[in-house]
Amino acid sequence: MSPADGAADDPATQGTSVEEAVRSSAGAVRRLGRGRPNRRLLIVELTLLALLIIIPLVTNDAFLVDRLGRFFLLAIFAMSVDLIWGYGGLFTFGHAVFFGGAAYVVGILTTRDWGFLPIPFWPALLAGVAFAALLALATSFFVFYGRGALRGVEFAVVTLAVAVIAERIANAGGQVTGGQNGILMNARLEIAGVAFHRGFAFYAFTASLLVVVYLGLKRFLRARPGLLIRGVRENEDRVGLLGYDAPRVKRRTFVLSAAIAGLAGGLFYVHDGIVSPSAVGVAASTLVLLWVVLGGRGTLAGPIVGAVLLSYLTAVLSGRLLDTWLVVVGITLVVVILLMPAGIFGFLEQDER
Amino acid sequence: MSVLRLDGVTKSFGGFMAVDHVSLQIAQGEMRGLIGSNGAGKSTLLHLIYGQLNATSGTILFDGSDVTRMAAPERARRGMGLVFQITSVFPGLTVEENLLLGALPKETRTRLGVDLDEVERMLELVDLGDVRRRHAAHLSHGQQQWLEIGMVLLAHPKLLLLDEPTSGMTRAESHRTAALLRDLRDARATDAMIVVEHNIEFIRLVSDRVTVMHRGAVLADGGIDEVQASPAVQDAYLGRLH
Repeated sequence: MSPADGAADDPATQGTSVEEAVRSSAGAVRRLGRGRPNRRLLIVELTLLALLIIIPLVTNDAFLVDRLGRFFLLAIFAMSVDLIWGYGGLFTFGHAVFFGGAAYVVGILTTRDWGFLPIPFWPALLAGVAFAALLALATSFFVFYGRGALRGVEFAVVTLAVAVIAERIANAGGQVTGGQNGILMNARLEIAGVAFHRGFAFYAFTASLLVVVYLGLKRFLRARPGLLIRGVRENEDRVGLLGYDAPRVKRRTFVLSAAIAGLAGGLFYVHDGIVSPSAVGVAASTLVLLWVVLGGRGTLAGPIVGAVLLSYLTAVLSGRLLDTWLVVVGITLVVVILLMPAGIFGFLEQDER
Repeated sequence: MSVLRLDGVTKSFGGFMAVDHVSLQIAQGEMRGLIGSNGAGKSTLLHLIYGQLNATSGTILFDGSDVTRMAAPERARRGMGLVFQITSVFPGLTVEENLLLGALPKETRTRLGVDLDEVERMLELVDLGDVRRRHAAHLSHGQQQWLEIGMVLLAHPKLLLLDEPTSGMTRAESHRTAALLRDLRDARATDAMIVVEHNIEFIRLVSDRVTVMHRGAVLADGGIDEVQASPAVQDAYLGRLH
């Protein structure tokens, strides 16, 4: 242990040895929690990072690279679901409401010609993320608090209902949401004239964002809030009976998860050029669950791979097998889940026996 | 000053008086046994103390303040620690992580840290040092119970409530548990303990004083030999065991 690792912050312990020092909560969680180097995880991370860097160097297929860039945004969406479901144990059937909802906000703010609108893309994206976070916050107060707090299947059913309602609203929103046609996005991804809307630049942007979100979430999960949210997953009553505010733990994680989903969604549909009602619906919400299951719940890296692999497979197969691609994807999923019930990266979560 | 004081605490379900005007005080440093046959109301009383159930009438004073209407997590924050009959640890977290969840500050805004030395000492005390990185789900029943005791104690409770801690344990495990509780008392890990049990042998090993419940009310209260000698107690409860 190095002296710099979680320094003593209590003056009363100054002068004692490092081993006797009172540690900050985060330092303590890092040290005693999953803080010790996990070799398997490190290998996986370095391999993925290497792939991320090598792929654009060995190909000059701008279309493939552009497509992968899109998948990275879906991977961020998958991580947001892994945070709330894999780590928090809250099974959500409606996370596309945040992913697509933020995109609708971006679409409305950047294309409509009302009042002070349209506004530039980046503030609109910020508003989209805030919308997703506030929606999650408002939902939290209904589902996590009081005697009627929802757990397990009840929570899943409510999120499902929210997704169904959101899709209806998007369909019926007239001039605001563009109805069935949705909203044609006219914003482009660029900062100060430097565009990264397509191809290699887009890839570099989304790959960087993927790495940043991954590292940020990893940090969050390895500190106090991460340990608490996993505690809620394992035994929520016990968390409360130790004196923690369990509903607050869930609320914060849900809001963070929604904000991340919103960030990914706002970027995804602007790149796509259109956002339509299915973006906030049940189908989109279910698809992301498949990515998480395929990659491995509660592994963070797994859902990234799940999202990219399944999206790639779908893209390739739907082009070649016009009628049967969905069957092939389905069979692949069933086989993988039967052979690896904990997902491709489930081995990351096994403990030392 | 007493750590816990109940005055006329009553719980009725419909017309049934599960707990009937129970008054008792737990003093600083005390290890109180709470015994009684099945259905005597001891578990219900425990639920009332930690807040899983709300009393129909009466008051519960804990550490000087009235907690009668407080929710369980709030009472926990004020220093009640509960060890369940059916072990309640975090199965998918490691032993270390379980203990850490006991030790972490409960308020987010505090700048307080965690004394890792204390966590290490607890790991030794509950004898789980060798399995520290194993998931709690893979421990034996006895080990899980000790882990729960260690985790709850790391939250520095003023009052530790144990609901039939030896149920499902082997005789050897019961004896180790008793020794552990005595060590914890000697180490002043908590101000007071209440142990709900029907294992008299175990109660004899850990408590100074017992309260016998029968049909929701307190039947007798005192030293264990004195209580065991009481004809009313023998009649109602202890006699039937032999």
